[in-house]
Amino acid sequence: MKKHTILTILFLALASSLFGQNILPYQIHQKKLPNGLNVVAIPYPSPGVASFHIVVRVGSRDEVEKGKTGFAHFFEHMMFRGTERYSKEQYSNALKATGASANANTSLDRTVYHMTGSAKFLDKMFELEADRFMNLKYSVQDFKTEAGAVKGEYTKNNASPYTRLYEAVNNTAFDKHTYKHTTMGFYEDIVAMPDQYDFSLKFFERYYRPEYCTILVVGDVEPGQVFGLAMTHFGEWKKGSYTQTIPVEPPANGTRKVNVKAEKFPPYLDLKFRGPAFSLLNNDYQALALLGQLLTSEKSDLYKDMVMTERVARSINGGIFPTRDPYLFSLSASLTNASDFPKVKKRFLDAVAKYQSTPVSETDLSSAKDRIRYSFALSMDNPDAIANSVGQFIWLTGNPESLNSSYQLLQSVTPDDIMRVAKKYLVAEGMTIGTISPTDNPVID
Amino acid sequence: MKHISITAVLLIVFGSAYASVTFQTVTLPNPQSDKVVVKMMFSNGSMSDPKGMEGLTQLTASLMLDGGTGKYTATDIKAMTYPWAARWYSTVDKEVTVFTFEFHKDHADQMLSIMTGLVISPAFSESDYKRIKSNQENYINEVIRSSSDEDLSKYALESFLFRDTRYAHPVGGTTQGLTNITLEEVIRYHKTNFTTRNLMLGIAGAYSDPYLLKLQDALMKLPDTSPNMVQPVIARNPKGLQVEIITKQSTLGSAIFAGFPLEITRSQDEFAALMVANSWLGEHRKSYSRLYQKIREQRSMNYGDYTYIEWYENGGSNMLPQPGYPRKSNYFSIWLRPVQTAGALKSQYPELKEIKIGHAHFALRMALRELQTMVEKGMTQEDFELTRDFLRSYTKLYIQTPAKQLGFLMDSRFYGRNDFIAELDVMLERLTVDEVNAAIKNHWQSNNMFISIVTDKTEAEPLKESLMNGLRSPMTYSDALRATLSPEILAEDEEVSNFPMQATSVEIISDQSLFR
Repeated sequence: MKKHTILTILFLALASSLFGQNILPYQIHQKKLPNGLNVVAIPYPSPGVASFHIVVRVGSRDEVEKGKTGFAHFFEHMMFRGTERYSKEQYSNALKATGASANANTSLDRTVYHMTGSAKFLDKMFELEADRFMNLKYSVQDFKTEAGAVKGEYTKNNASPYTRLYEAVNNTAFDKHTYKHTTMGFYEDIVAMPDQYDFSLKFFERYYRPEYCTILVVGDVEPGQVFGLAMTHFGEWKKGSYTQTIPVEPPANGTRKVNVKAEKFPPYLDLKFRGPAFSLLNNDYQALALLGQLLTSEKSDLYKDMVMTERVARSINGGIFPTRDPYLFSLSASLTNASDFPKVKKRFLDAVAKYQSTPVSETDLSSAKDRIRYSFALSMDNPDAIANSVGQFIWLTGNPESLNSSYQLLQSVTPDDIMRVAKKYLVAEGMTIGTISPTDNPVID
Repeated sequence: MKHISITAVLLIVFGSAYASVTFQTVTLPNPQSDKVVVKMMFSNGSMSDPKGMEGLTQLTASLMLDGGTGKYTATDIKAMTYPWAARWYSTVDKEVTVFTFEFHKDHADQMLSIMTGLVISPAFSESDYKRIKSNQENYINEVIRSSSDEDLSKYALESFLFRDTRYAHPVGGTTQGLTNITLEEVIRYHKTNFTTRNLMLGIAGAYSDPYLLKLQDALMKLPDTSPNMVQPVIARNPKGLQVEIITKQSTLGSAIFAGFPLEITRSQDEFAALMVANSWLGEHRKSYSRLYQKIREQRSMNYGDYTYIEWYENGGSNMLPQPGYPRKSNYFSIWLRPVQTAGALKSQYPELKEIKIGHAHFALRMALRELQTMVEKGMTQEDFELTRDFLRSYTKLYIQTPAKQLGFLMDSRFYGRNDFIAELDVMLERLTVDEVNAAIKNHWQSNNMFISIVTDKTEAEPLKESLMNGLRSPMTYSDALRATLSPEILAEDEEVSNFPMQATSVEIISDQSLFR
């Protein structure tokens, strides 16, 4: 009996630690420099290792000018082309000397520069990053040359029908908003990139400014040390004044369709619905994240029926990608036969209708919440993974603490919330139907 | 700041406390962690697939982990474990199969019976068999040749290197091999090829000694019989430059993989010397390597160019090497990511409307020329020191998570080492530039190579003619880019375009004919 009591207490202690107020079990230290640069330090027990990220809140969302799609990503490439102090060869050698794993990537709303390496090189990491963020300088030749590498990236990606569908669906789902084009950009704009040298200088002037950036360091570091290095290396960085106006997408006006023809390739159905932006003002985003789980997880009825029993689908997926502006909620399936497009689409819509009319059980909702929280806890086992998770909330809201706030909102979601968001967002009016099919005009209805 | 290595913090214990446990166990206890990682490595990979049943190892492994157990159906298990976010997966390579389970310590007890149930007494239901086999057939018949040209060129190179051997086919198998497999064969193969005699167990994280003993005891219920162990084969020696051009209906780029057999693996200390040479010439996804500098950085021909001295799993996605793919049969390879075809260039630049082939021949010439230069001249002391020091830090990043650390330790055992990453640091510290240059001369050459090129069907014949006849292959830039290039680059282009390179054979095959 006594043993049981102790076990119960232990379990409750563990449960309160896992399901407490904060999902992130490590303290976030934050300091804003006078020039507007935000600096975040998260000590984590990774002896001798640290991850250093710079999150720039600029992505393909900011590409409003005609002919300039793909530019945020292209500019990410240019950031490796050297400065007056470090030529590109010297930069490469200096980076190599740190032994770090370093790279960068761009998405809809942000560009992230990251390196993970020995914490003893933290000062050098700060020095190298400060130099290129403040003093980037490249020749016209370097600029034109790098454009070819971007085209090479497009070329390799374009081999996949999934990439071609992603490009086509975004182009179809949006009319005005810049989410219409992918982060790679339209092919014709990529081909024309070598002519945009002057615009690239303007781009750097606009966005590579302290108010757009957050430095995030996770690992074997002290917050005071991180803040000190930030002030030393980035303190002189001049604040900018540019703000971008993003076109607002008009209201949805009916279901749209787009198809990518690919013979001898598994048929694929992708239903996209107009979703909300990520927000902490209400729990719509969090409720839709849970609805994605309820609809398509391996525990869902759809998965059991379509994948495990009837085998009309090889896999199904669903959910919402967090974005700064309203984006898309997705339900997708890889089909066994293209003749099943109508059946699988109907099954998806019937399942949606069920969640619109019938409250989900508390047990199922709780199970989905547990899944998300345990999944997060299990992934937090190295500095880079933590930096990536925290970084996401930095580019979404500017504040890393919103990670914990968002998970608190997720906990607040009720069965009524699930019904509400299913009715509000998963409607035919805002639906885009994407397909990969062996024919030009697949039968979907 | 502390500079204690992760290895030192996590106590490493080898072996089991129980004399009755006959398989090797690698342990990495970490009471501070919330997570438990269990790995089971069976020295049984796709090379063990019986002739005519290519794909059997992977199908058996998938069915074991994605089917049910004697106690629960697959659906039951998915429903039960869903809220825990526990995950498990199998990775099948040529010589080993690894089952990995990752779960929160809250669910360790329940996971014990699920893990052992899946591995020891899988349900092997007809329904799960049909579902999983259909997915594997779909991958081999459609996905593998239609998703990524660069992955296809990599698999095509393996098929070329190991033709007519058990090493040649993708781990997923072949069309005919999969057709020949029956559920009865899967059940038989599970009994004969997943036993205590070819198992290595690994466990890391928040587990207790009694937990490990329970796991070991349970796994002792696997058959205690010796599988019919297949010996790894050596890759064929290419005779000159042997090329296969794999054609696709419509693609913008030419994806290239080239390689030749290597007699060295992580087992030998000389491997460290070759790692330095390889890192300088073509470190994976690193802008400071030579090929990357020459082909991408200076000439903008593609997204990246790398070299390898062992298998690198899923290089398109992984920035760092993955554990779980150790091999005794090894080869050197060059990966040139897709370069522009003539069709793509012509559609972009009117001034190139007359060209017949894109950048594939020039890129290959440049890579072979750089390799030849390295074989002839070796590395300088300065390049050696920078690269050696880079690797001494960089290789520690291979093991940032408990799962990676455990995996690399188990791979170390496969190669007859205790801890390759730790030992590598010592080997690198003691290394000299002379030893690196000797290793280059011992193991590398540029005259004999198998080359696989995946490209558009319109590119194939002109490219074949150019390769077979060793024709000059001038670099074709747009006028706008050419105008900005330095005289040094253009002069080097001229040298490269005339670099002696003539294929001894060039075959054109359709992507649809592979892996049948």
